[in-house]
Amino acid sequence: MDEEPERAKRWEGGYERTWEVLKEDESGSLKATVEDILFQSKRKRVIENHGQVRLGMMRHLYVLIDCSRSMEDQDLKPNRLASTLKLMEAFVDEYFDQNPISQVGIITTKNKRAEKLTDLAGNPKKHIAALKKAVDTLCVGEPSLYNSLNLAIQTLKHMPGHTSREILIILSSLTTCDPASIYELIKTLKSLKVRVSVIGLSAEVRVCTVLTRETGGSYHVILDESHFRELLMLHVKPPPASSSSECSLIRMGFPQHTIASLTDQGAKPSFSMSHLDNSSGPGLSLEGYFCPQCHAKYTELPVECKVCGLTLVLAPHLARSFHHLFPLQAFTESSVEELQEDRFCQACQGELKDKIIFTCPSCRSVFCVECDLFIHDSLHCCPCCIHSQSTS
Amino acid sequence: MASLSEEVLLVVKKVRQRKQDGTLYLMAERIAWGPEGKDRFTVSHLYADIRCQKISPDGKAKIQLQLILHTGESTTFHFSNESSALKDRDAAKELLQQLLPKFKKKANKELEEKNRMLQEDPVLFQLYKDLVVSQVISADEFWANRLGDMNNSDPTPYNNKQDVGISGAFLADIRPQTDGCNGLRYNLTADIIESIFRTYPAVKQKYGENVPHNLTEKEFWTRFFQSHYFHRDRINTGTQDIFSECAKQDEKGLKSMVVQGVKNPLVDLLSLEDKTLDEGYGVSTTTPSTSNANRTVKESSNAAIIKRFNHHSAMVLAAGSRKGQAAQMGTRGILTSSSLLLNPFFSLAIEYEDLQRENRLKTVALNLKKSDRYAHGPVPLQSQHYTTSQDIINSVNHIRHEMVNYKPNLTQVLSSTAASSAITALSPGGVLMMTGTQQAINQMIPTEVQGELKHLYAAAGELLRHFWSCFPVNSPFLEEKVMKMKTNLERFQMTKLCPFQEKIQRQYLSTNLTGHLEEMLQTAYSKFHVWQTRRMLRKT
Repeated sequence: MDEEPERAKRWEGGYERTWEVLKEDESGSLKATVEDILFQSKRKRVIENHGQVRLGMMRHLYVLIDCSRSMEDQDLKPNRLASTLKLMEAFVDEYFDQNPISQVGIITTKNKRAEKLTDLAGNPKKHIAALKKAVDTLCVGEPSLYNSLNLAIQTLKHMPGHTSREILIILSSLTTCDPASIYELIKTLKSLKVRVSVIGLSAEVRVCTVLTRETGGSYHVILDESHFRELLMLHVKPPPASSSSECSLIRMGFPQHTIASLTDQGAKPSFSMSHLDNSSGPGLSLEGYFCPQCHAKYTELPVECKVCGLTLVLAPHLARSFHHLFPLQAFTESSVEELQEDRFCQACQGELKDKIIFTCPSCRSVFCVECDLFIHDSLHCCPCCIHSQSTS
Repeated sequence: MASLSEEVLLVVKKVRQRKQDGTLYLMAERIAWGPEGKDRFTVSHLYADIRCQKISPDGKAKIQLQLILHTGESTTFHFSNESSALKDRDAAKELLQQLLPKFKKKANKELEEKNRMLQEDPVLFQLYKDLVVSQVISADEFWANRLGDMNNSDPTPYNNKQDVGISGAFLADIRPQTDGCNGLRYNLTADIIESIFRTYPAVKQKYGENVPHNLTEKEFWTRFFQSHYFHRDRINTGTQDIFSECAKQDEKGLKSMVVQGVKNPLVDLLSLEDKTLDEGYGVSTTTPSTSNANRTVKESSNAAIIKRFNHHSAMVLAAGSRKGQAAQMGTRGILTSSSLLLNPFFSLAIEYEDLQRENRLKTVALNLKKSDRYAHGPVPLQSQHYTTSQDIINSVNHIRHEMVNYKPNLTQVLSSTAASSAITALSPGGVLMMTGTQQAINQMIPTEVQGELKHLYAAAGELLRHFWSCFPVNSPFLEEKVMKMKTNLERFQMTKLCPFQEKIQRQYLSTNLTGHLEEMLQTAYSKFHVWQTRRMLRKT
């Protein structure tokens, strides 16, 4: 039967190139339309990203991962929990890449209770180590939205007002077991200006819709693993700040990396304040970043000085977030027939096979669909504009 | 001295203390003795201060009771009533035996907490040894700061006291397993037992009445699962089953719920009924009669199950809303009409948000002046030599001309000494390429010295953290604290840092290991000095 080879292909490479499988499936035209819709929404997001909008760049995000019985379902390979944790590792990396001065914490919920996996911290290594260990947890019982949101609120309510407080829930169960009315908790969340977003793994649940609508977050339900990844990466971008958040001046220190050698007269080996309690970190060393206020040493930045409480960052950390403030404008769409010259994309030098091409408004160079997405998602600058030497 | 509001638990007359006759009073929080004829108490001890009590052995002529305090002092009472001395003394002893443990717990709880923290965290223990045992800061200060931090950031108390909801399927989740010989094993966890008690308070009552007087816990649960109360066919057989009362109570509860009805104007439960379509359209169905005689056996068992389900759901909801605030929901979790219409939080059920146009979140526009400064950073202003734009154009042209006609003169570019020193600095092992030496230092210094240095860093870090947290100084409490911390830092430097320095000097280690710590302390001192001078200036 035709089904056998098709199934094998889907299992092996199905989640990499889903559109190839669809070609043989007559009744799969619905899936193709859905893919098309997803692609259109991606383009729409790129187009909407214009204008300079105030963003909440110092973010405190709690990720609530459901570890209930439904996470043992195997519709995501190898099971929902393993797949979620793997994607979370990638998310944490990407998150700290795009938001160097933000913090993340992870909470898990199962058996009607919630537990903190990691505290709010700005160091990705701890989170990734905890996520790797969590793959072995037993998934049992029902999740509790109330208890996990409560646990997150305990810490988030102490955060300063100019930072953005966010919660991202990954919920796979269709039920939640709460000790009290969750609508009261939604009111509390609203008053604390916490933005809650949900990614559902099974289906749309009414209580999540109300939760996200009232707090101003987004609610999506995944279709498959690649869609899951996309939805997770949506939350990497800093959200627009609501009009009610206060703005204030934030004090930061910009230490310089000093290196010295033993032969120098004034060489002083020292310990880093963040590695005092574990023996696995680097020991005595001559170089490091010294806090400008209290002179304590650290080996990695960004960090909050343990002695004087000053946030220490490097200038590139802040500069990395600038592309959110000054986004690249959307390229103009046009049909490929209008192109007079040779049809090849300026970025990848490949032949233009699609029907749509994109043109940069300032340098008028032509890009294909893939390159346009890549430029807007990752590069944040037109490659031809940087090359040109025009003075403006 | 006795306050009128104190509750007197026991009064014993004719008790001698230090050869004086008097009366012994046992109050709610203290024990007191007053001499005869006088109103005041000469001896008064709080139960919290008493370490233990002792009584004279039975054979002795004198019947005495001795109280030993924590401080080591002791007070002896001699019961001298001819007839009832032994009884009096025993009564006093019994009462004291009951009261003392209550007060003892309160005093020790804090100590226990501190001990636990010290045992769990070896770093904290080391810090305690370094700072308190060597008298750099007092124990009170140490714990004042620590306990404050702990209470704010300790998540474990929260975890232990999490409120837990009741899962609707908790009875189904019990999942009996056959144990091979015609029996069933039910796995009961503490969670399930709690859910049963909260949902069915009648069962909790029965449990309280019967265990442990009549039945053991195991027997109670075995009976529970065997009884028809638990199984779906609730045929009440006789009264020997302890749960038949529970079944009757449930019936009553269900009837009262039905009578109350649903007060939601948007829901009309009475107009819902089962309509069968397969026997011809337009055939009027007979209205279901409520008399038991007309029903078939199947219908009646179905009705019983449906009744059980409805009752179970209602009880679960009721238990949930009983726990939390029932202000929002009406009785038994059913929305009342007034709460629906008056509460703007719930949009009316007549509007569907999905069908409306999506509202975009209102965003705040960014207000940046000179946004191109973000592209290249701040540029220092320099004085300009050029006055007109023509000057600028001329100078640009001149430079362009020079660039075109530039001919390199390689012999005068860089002196050879400068070039060779730059090359040595940048080759491996040079001054600017010293990243590999940290291994060397770690091996040059013995590990015990490194360990000690780490402890010094931890202790200094703790003290400095308290110091820096005082700034900005805007209250007299912080002023005091900052001055105290400065003296603490100086004391730390003298008692810990200098001896360590001397020690390593004696070991002929030439590297300046304490230089960084001294720098940190010096920065703190200079900050303090600046603050002090500013304060002086402000006062004058």
